[in-house]
Amino acid sequence: MSVSPPAALQTQNLVLGYQRTTIIDQLNASIPHGQVTAIIGPNGCGKSTLLAGLAKLHPAKQGQILLDGQDIARLSPREMAQALALLPQDGVAPDGMTVADLVRFGRHPHTGLLRQWSKEDQQAVVTAIATADLMAMADRPLTTLSGGQRQRAWIAMALAQSTPLLLLDEPTAALDLGHQIEVFELIRQLAAEGKTVVMVVHDLASACRYADHLIAMCAGSIIAAGAPNAVVTPELIHQLYGVHCRLIPDPISGTPIIVGVQKSQKSEGKNQKG
Amino acid sequence: MDRLSLNPTTSAAHELNLAQPFTGQPTGLWLLRFGRLSLLLDRRAWLASLLLLLATVVLVGLSLGSGTVKIAPLDALAALFNQGETKNIFIVRDLRLTRVLAGGMAGAALGMAGCLLQTLSRNRLANPDTIGIDNAATAFAVASVVGVSTTLAPSGMALIGAITMLSLTFALSGGAGTRGYRFLITGLGLGAICGAATNLMLARAPIDAANDAFPWTIGSLNDRSGITVSLLAWGVVILLPLAAIVGKRLNLVRLPDAVAQSLGVRVNRLRFFTILLAGSLTGLAVAVAGPVGMIGLAAPELGRRLAGPRTVPIVPSALAGACFTMLADLLGRTLFSPTEIPVGIVTALVGGPYLLWFLLRTPRGKQL
Repeated sequence: MSVSPPAALQTQNLVLGYQRTTIIDQLNASIPHGQVTAIIGPNGCGKSTLLAGLAKLHPAKQGQILLDGQDIARLSPREMAQALALLPQDGVAPDGMTVADLVRFGRHPHTGLLRQWSKEDQQAVVTAIATADLMAMADRPLTTLSGGQRQRAWIAMALAQSTPLLLLDEPTAALDLGHQIEVFELIRQLAAEGKTVVMVVHDLASACRYADHLIAMCAGSIIAAGAPNAVVTPELIHQLYGVHCRLIPDPISGTPIIVGVQKSQKSEGKNQKG
Repeated sequence: MDRLSLNPTTSAAHELNLAQPFTGQPTGLWLLRFGRLSLLLDRRAWLASLLLLLATVVLVGLSLGSGTVKIAPLDALAALFNQGETKNIFIVRDLRLTRVLAGGMAGAALGMAGCLLQTLSRNRLANPDTIGIDNAATAFAVASVVGVSTTLAPSGMALIGAITMLSLTFALSGGAGTRGYRFLITGLGLGAICGAATNLMLARAPIDAANDAFPWTIGSLNDRSGITVSLLAWGVVILLPLAAIVGKRLNLVRLPDAVAQSLGVRVNRLRFFTILLAGSLTGLAVAVAGPVGMIGLAAPELGRRLAGPRTVPIVPSALAGACFTMLADLLGRTLFSPTEIPVGIVTALVGGPYLLWFLLRTPRGKQL
């Protein structure tokens, strides 16, 4: 697995879990540089735990995580925060906070007690807000924004952190179709600008369409990894979700679309998997 | 409008009639820069602090001036700095200062402790009254009043009680726990035991001894020793800047834990320090004033309201706490003079309705 392009993040025999339970067991994953990697898998397979582990929110029980070849266990929280930004699910911001207030928090790893706001900090905040396309509403309270705008504000906060790596846990959860596309296109744009993005995504079609690299997880282990077109097969989907389906290529993007999903083996069924 | 990509330098901004295009200049904050050093000060929080500082000075003047010998507030303040009549200087500095200092400092400590605990637990009910430290201080102080075996002054015992409780709660809860809840609940439980012990002692004590111990069960500034007051004053002077620094960090913990952590905040260590600070401040305050209620609950509410949503209002809460306590003591001393009402009764009587009014005015629960 660690043969081809240099990995931005790599796990070696990684074991993650809480006290006695093991959630991720002996996992070897590698996240390619400058690409969008999507982690897919059924609920409870350890996707979010892996993401949190990569961000060093949980210490590894065994094994290690290499960030550009360096064991993250040796990095201080501040060094980690300068290398990698994580956006967890369901971010709730304190009341009364504006977009700019939130985005400013992203600069925390670059500031100090007596160096609270430099010109670079200001520049990074402007760039982040511009990238997330929120210039017009920078001074508006978060509560007055739409779901998609709010999610972009959180992403802008992570962008202001100015890290080469961005980890996003279900960045489009609870967003409608239009807002999902907004966020996914922003993610593509970030990858085009050279960021390495890792995201947990539930919707397979979107994962296939917007990711360069797919990691399919089941019960704490990786069962497949690679380019979406090469990895996603009806067998894999059966293994992951226990459903039968057929795949057809998207007439526009060429990436796989899942049709005819059904739990049992009857011939016809609903043709959409959420 | 949200679909448009706006560059502040283009005329699109003008067409959309935006008052000020976003430049990244922090709004509502003062930016001070000296070479490579820079400070970002929250305008509203600083104005709130100034306003409350003014109120504090006025209340200090009023408190120092009132009593059997009336002194005009300005003369009293002058006397504080050794100016004016010798008689006034003697009355102010030697007779009244300790009490005013005790009230102000205890209030400041409780206000800060409340602000720290509320922010940490994201729960506006968390406050110094509920972590058991004051119950322990009361129990120890009452024991020294009604018991025969101790010779220590009650306030010394109260301090020992507070320290014992703080260490015990830390040991039993094994640290702060999530949002500090583990610590808060452990304190609540241990506090209940101390409360019961206090009642048991009072029930078995002779009526005179129980009467002497009474102020310690409600909070009073009558029986304060010079040593504990100066200990408290120094404690507040030293811990206030620490609390302000911790408060700046705590601002990030208002975001989800995972976000704060990935921004480089050592969340668990920060929780530990926050609770240690809040516990120490509470301990010092109750060693002087006993379990003065409501201050730790009401002062941060006012602080937050005045300082706005961007900061954790440590300094405004401290000043508000000082004002509340001095005001309560002033009322308690003057309303039914010469009968004195202990400050704890006044804070409960006035503070309760005030807090209700304050909370009912806020239509929905706020995310702290």
